[in-house]
Amino acid sequence: MAAMPNVEARGQATFDCASEAAMAAETKASRATSTVRLIGLTKTFSPNIVALKGVDLDIPGGEFFTLLGPSGCGKTTLLRMIAGLEHATGGEIEIGGRAVTHIPAHKRNVNTVFQSYALFPHLSVRDNIGFGLRMCGVKKPDIQKRVIETAKFIKISELLDRKIDQLSGGQKQRIALARALINEPDVLLLDEPLSALDAGLRGELQIELLRIQRRLGMTFIFVTHDQQEAMVMSDRIAVLSDGHIQQVGGPKQLYERPDNLFVAHFMGHSNLFPIQKHDANGVYTELGRIVGRFESGTHMLIRPETVTLTPGQSEGDNHLSASVVERIYRGSVAEYRLNCGATELVAKCNNCGQDMFEVGDTVTVVVETDGLVTLNE
Amino acid sequence: MKNTGFYLSLRIFWYLVVIFLYLPLFVVVLFSFNEANTAARFTHFSLKWYGQLFSDDTVLGAFKNSLILAITSSAISTVMGTMLGYGMYTHRRRRLGWLVWLIYLPIVMPDIVYGISEMSFFTSIYNMLGILRPGLGTMIIAHVSFQIPFVALLVYSRLVGLDAKLFDACHDLYANGIQRARFFILPILQPAIIAGFFLAFTLSIDDFVISFFTSGPESTTLPIYIWSAIKKGITPEVNAIATVLIGAVLAVAMITMAFQYVRSASTTSRA
Repeated sequence: MAAMPNVEARGQATFDCASEAAMAAETKASRATSTVRLIGLTKTFSPNIVALKGVDLDIPGGEFFTLLGPSGCGKTTLLRMIAGLEHATGGEIEIGGRAVTHIPAHKRNVNTVFQSYALFPHLSVRDNIGFGLRMCGVKKPDIQKRVIETAKFIKISELLDRKIDQLSGGQKQRIALARALINEPDVLLLDEPLSALDAGLRGELQIELLRIQRRLGMTFIFVTHDQQEAMVMSDRIAVLSDGHIQQVGGPKQLYERPDNLFVAHFMGHSNLFPIQKHDANGVYTELGRIVGRFESGTHMLIRPETVTLTPGQSEGDNHLSASVVERIYRGSVAEYRLNCGATELVAKCNNCGQDMFEVGDTVTVVVETDGLVTLNE
Repeated sequence: MKNTGFYLSLRIFWYLVVIFLYLPLFVVVLFSFNEANTAARFTHFSLKWYGQLFSDDTVLGAFKNSLILAITSSAISTVMGTMLGYGMYTHRRRRLGWLVWLIYLPIVMPDIVYGISEMSFFTSIYNMLGILRPGLGTMIIAHVSFQIPFVALLVYSRLVGLDAKLFDACHDLYANGIQRARFFILPILQPAIIAGFFLAFTLSIDDFVISFFTSGPESTTLPIYIWSAIKKGITPEVNAIATVLIGAVLAVAMITMAFQYVRSASTTSRA
């Protein structure tokens, strides 16, 4: 255990903390430096399969950071490399300023919540949660006390004496979280931990995970393919595709100011139109002429909720005449597919009392230039 | 209603299976308690054949040899088979088809072929080097080699059925190699290892063919003794030996089941 004196020492230090608040405050203070830096990280599985092609990332301590991308983009591989479960082919990994690239998983103070939960079937819930401390040589009474504290914190006290096969998916998820958090890792890694749960429970656990992260002030690195989930939870998101980072930024930045087509598509429904001509007063697209000052780019992005629909035809800059092709009612919003100029446009309108348009209606699409972004392929 | 005949014939078939399976066992047990020296009719209840059995040094010697052989070979093959099963699991991604074939071949190989080849192998080694004289030692080697694949198969299938992420979780939760073996792999394999031991034990205790070809003059086991005894006709003494064997096998099965039951009950209560 000589390789991890910090775990032992911190274990003794926090062990006496009676209240959760004190525990949270203490961990927050000790976690100021647990940043994660990835420098030119590459991973090659065989000569032909390159999972990561040089990833650079700086994740400040205490951030809820999400790796977002479609399946096969390398996000899980990246997470496993931070955990030490996968060796880096090239590049460096630093955690809390310490180079850990060649340190095996069991000597890194980093814990993972797995997608399949990976709870030990031969152990009770109590022994599952205490497993990490036991491996570190923490004394039994101390383990017991901390298991009880952690269970209280995660609200699973009543499950401690159950067997693993007597638990529901949501309960298993909480136990997997408790099993990782009890070790007070520098960084908590979460590999699509909510993807096996039903929608309602999933939303609940998203908020709860976020609260836990805020209270502990711990660095969380979360992997998901669900852009909604990523936007709800993250301080910052890295969008990955094909072993590359496409863009890093806050949810708002990624949604409203995507750097490229991939990010624009992945972050939500996008109306994207190739720019045919660009001059000082505006751009020409299939929609027609749009007046305004835009940065140069190959495509124009119009998010469906940034346009306004008015009945009938009206004249003016950026007023486009269109007809309704399809209407999808979604409760809080109505989504319209419109025929506009030579192409199609999707618009989303808030439903707050006003009448909806019918299929075949002629409408005017008012495009606000604030909501427009030009981007490159 | 047209299926009645079909179901009736199934039922009759089932009764026939039960009769041919268990009636002979019942007859053997019954006549081991027969006073008369004949299987023609049951005269009086008597334990005299058992008395004769347990005072016969040849029988006792054979019984002792059988136990030594079964316990030693099962213990060795359980350890080696477990290691083999684990190795097959950890290297399952590599192309090891031919190796797996080598391991499984003894399971399908006819015992007689295996027994004869082991015999000539041991004899030539003994003639050349003066070691491996046919006896308990060679029998243990032969038994271990045919038991290993069964144990390895049990261990391997247990491991394949596990979530591979459990190994990652162990590593992630600070367990080094020794701790992983002690706190994860061995406890999780325990049912497979125990089942493997008892399977190896029963394979060994009733093996005749391989034992016969690899044994020496002083290493007669119970099956070999029975075989030589019935050449003089089936005596009540042979029935008594068979009854003892039936009792022993039932006892082993019951111990295994009791052990599993206690284990599954203790996981819930252990805090």
